Formats: sequence, C-alpha cells, structure tokens
Amino acid sequence: MDVSEQQVGRVWVVTARGRLDGATSGAFAQRVEALVTGAEPRLLVDFSGVEFVSSAGLRVVLALLKKVKGVRGSFALCAVQPAVREVLEITGFAGMIDIHPERAAALTALS
Amino acid sequence: MIRFATSITPNPEAISRLTDEVTGFLRSSGVDARAAHHVALVIEEILTNVATHGGSPDAPATVSLEVQPDRVSGEIGDCGGPFDPRTGPVPDFGTPIEDRKIGGLGLHLVRQLTSVLEYRCDGKQNWTTFCVPREQGRG
Repeated sequence: MDVSEQQVGRVWVVTARGRLDGATSGAFAQRVEALVTGAEPRLLVDFSGVEFVSSAGLRVVLALLKKVKGVRGSFALCAVQPAVREVLEITGFAGMIDIHPERAAALTALS
Repeated sequence: MIRFATSITPNPEAISRLTDEVTGFLRSSGVDARAAHHVALVIEEILTNVATHGGSPDAPATVSLEVQPDRVSGEIGDCGGPFDPRTGPVPDFGTPIEDRKIGGLGLHLVRQLTSVLEYRCDGKQNWTTFCVPREQGRG
C-alpha cells in the first residue's frame, strides 16, 4: 500500500492506494497515527485509490477514529470505492464515520 | 466453467498476494468488480481466521473457485482446529464508539457477503464452501 500525506490548512490529508489488509494495516496505522498530535487534530483519509479493505483494515480505521475522537479531533474519509463502501455499511462503520463523496467537500467540512 | 485452484501457507503476506491474484483472475474471467472484491474478501477473512486461531499456522490450506454464470463458488480446506464460520459472535453495533469492541468483524463480513455458506469437518480438515452472487450484465 502506498501512503502519502499533505497538510491543507489545519487538515492532514492522507492519500492511500492499494489494499488495506492484514499485511499492510500495521504500517498504515503507524504512519497515520503519527499525524494525530496536539489538540483537536483534523484528519482526512482519501480512499479513492483503496480497492480492498479487510477486517484488519477496519480495525486500524476504528483505532484511528478512537484516537482522534479521544483528543476531540475530527476524522473523515472521502472518495470511497463502491465495494469498500459496502463493507463499511455492512460493518456499521458508515454510521460512525463521516464519509464524503469528494475530497473538496470533506476539506470544507473539516476546515 | 472457469476454475482456479491453489494452495497457500496462510500468513498475512501470502494471503494478501493470493487475494490480489484472485481479484485479477475473477476480473479477467468477466466477473463484476463487486463480486470479485467480495470473493477475495471472503477468502481473506477465512484464511486470516485460520492463521490466527487455527492452531496449525504452517499447514497449507487449499482454495478453489468456480466461475458460474450467476455466481462464484468457492471451497477452502484447512488443517486448523474444527471451526464453523457460520457461528461466532455478532459484532457489537449498539455500543458507542469509545467502548466498541473491535473483534468479530471478519466472520460477520463472511456471513453477510455470501449467499451460501456451508461447513463440514471430515476429521482431518475443515471444508468451508461459499457462493457470492454475480451482478448480472456487469463484467
């Protein structure tokens, strides 16, 4: 999985590409958790290039969400592919996480 | 009928490579993206469960698939302890996020994504069979 990040105003935008599964979720979590610093962090993960998310991937997303919420921060996903979106809905994640169709709308909501 | 068969020692890296290969095989066989994704995810979750809880991490598992006009059928054989994937706890959906437990998601996905899910143990191996429906008219 390829991961890159950039800061847009107060928001960290993480762009992930590839598969978020048992082989990649640990490195993804480590990389993204490093961005959750200070009070009220704002984190947006762009899933447009993520074609596969397993339960191992869901667990790190939930851990990230908990960590961000624990310091009164904001967390959102954007541009989730349809099959991955279905997985988020089946597991109840779609009801817990702000999911935006596009990055621009997500940035507006988080800024 | 189009078939795929392989064996694998179920560790995270090998499972990742296999499910990536399965996705490619199914897409090149004309299976729609949604069904191909779901078949790969079912395989990933069952093999991960074998690797984590099966008790025989070095024993190879077998995976076979058949592409049929209306569905993809699969069978996974493993040498772990007897375990029926149709059983097990349902994830805790009613609890606030701060308190929510993280387990149970994988088998919940397997149960939700399959139209058929069967299990038998022949005394030596577990055999899990499943079907994922294809979306008609989509390749």
